[in-house]
Amino acid sequence: MKKLIIAAFFLAGFIPAVAQDAPKLYTLPSPFERYTHYLATLRFAGAMPLGSFADSYIDKASFQNASISIEWVLRNSPISIGGEIGSTYFQKRLPRALYQNGNETISAVQTRTLSQYPVELFGNYHFLGKTSSIQPYIQVSGGVSILDNVLYYGSLSSQHQKVAPKYGVGLGSKFLFKQDGSVGVDVRVKYNGTAYKHDYIEKGVSSLNGSIGIFYRWW
Amino acid sequence: MLKKASLFLLIAGLGLISCSKDPISDLSTEESLVYVTNHDQAANFTQYKTFSIVDSVLVVENNRQQTALTDLDRDVLNRIITKMQGLGYKYVSPKSNPDVGINVTWVTNTYLNVVSQPLSSYYGGYWGGGYGYGYGYPSYYSYYETAESYWLVSMLDFKNPNTANKTFNVIWDAQIRGAGIGERQYVDTMVDSIFGQSGYLKIN
Repeated sequence: MKKLIIAAFFLAGFIPAVAQDAPKLYTLPSPFERYTHYLATLRFAGAMPLGSFADSYIDKASFQNASISIEWVLRNSPISIGGEIGSTYFQKRLPRALYQNGNETISAVQTRTLSQYPVELFGNYHFLGKTSSIQPYIQVSGGVSILDNVLYYGSLSSQHQKVAPKYGVGLGSKFLFKQDGSVGVDVRVKYNGTAYKHDYIEKGVSSLNGSIGIFYRWW
Repeated sequence: MLKKASLFLLIAGLGLISCSKDPISDLSTEESLVYVTNHDQAANFTQYKTFSIVDSVLVVENNRQQTALTDLDRDVLNRIITKMQGLGYKYVSPKSNPDVGINVTWVTNTYLNVVSQPLSSYYGGYWGGGYGYGYGYPSYYSYYETAESYWLVSMLDFKNPNTANKTFNVIWDAQIRGAGIGERQYVDTMVDSIFGQSGYLKIN
């Protein structure tokens, strides 16, 4: 009986929603086309270290990455601009090995970590219109990354922190759940480069980042 | 609306940043140990035949010294004797003019750290209105102490003393750091490791 009541409640919510899909009386363009509107995205990402960063420091993929962005989708233009802040974290554990530090020989289990908190501005160019339920885009971004590089020898750590310039190039697409709706999924692949050199990291930090996110737009 | 969104972004951002991880929480005690060895590059270890060792451990705590001989200390000293004999050195009494002498020290350094309380008013900014925290009381400083201990094993050259200033050169030393250095079950691992990574000590 209880189950039936619950089912009835669900239906009660569902049936009016179906009823609202009746033919439209007015054919005004979508407000998302008429106004410059806002769009916020929350992303979770997997990241793969690339290049010399992967060769000399950490080559292990990471899934502890997230970001939040907010953008202004400009009226009468395929462009949107915004800001994004995030957190990425790479870690690699090496079994006990000997390291040479000057004349010293160090035997330790190394744990290499690199946290980054990128703060950047970006511009997106959209290939299809704002009412399209699939909206592929390309992205260019630039900003700074707050780096926290901690290298552990056993339980001893050496830390180096720096704010370094970073840039990114991405390719992605938004998928709206409902045509002209305000919620959808965002998928993006992005290359990130950070100009940072310290110790093992000799030629900057680069990674390829694949994210899936959820966005909300409003005006 | 925009203001609210920015606010949300800021709070979420601070949330992301404040999630700190402890990447070494999964290290075993054995894995946490770090062995650092160094030696005089000019020393030729084959010239040394005999050694002696201190009869107790020197405990250095913030520049105060005393000696101790606990069960742990005895284990460490005995294991060093065994390893030195294995490398070809003959264990002799300190009175029989050993070629090298081994000192074992337990060093503890204590550091005093300062933190300002409350934290900067900067962090209070997102309560809105453009105001930070207004404190009705003066800020103060609080202190916390951290201590770090390690074993220091050094080998002194008794054969070639500096006659001018009456000192003995340290020709080899080893530091053992990390969790577990005060536990008897790790003594063999620790001592074996510092000798194991110093192959040049072998004379037989």
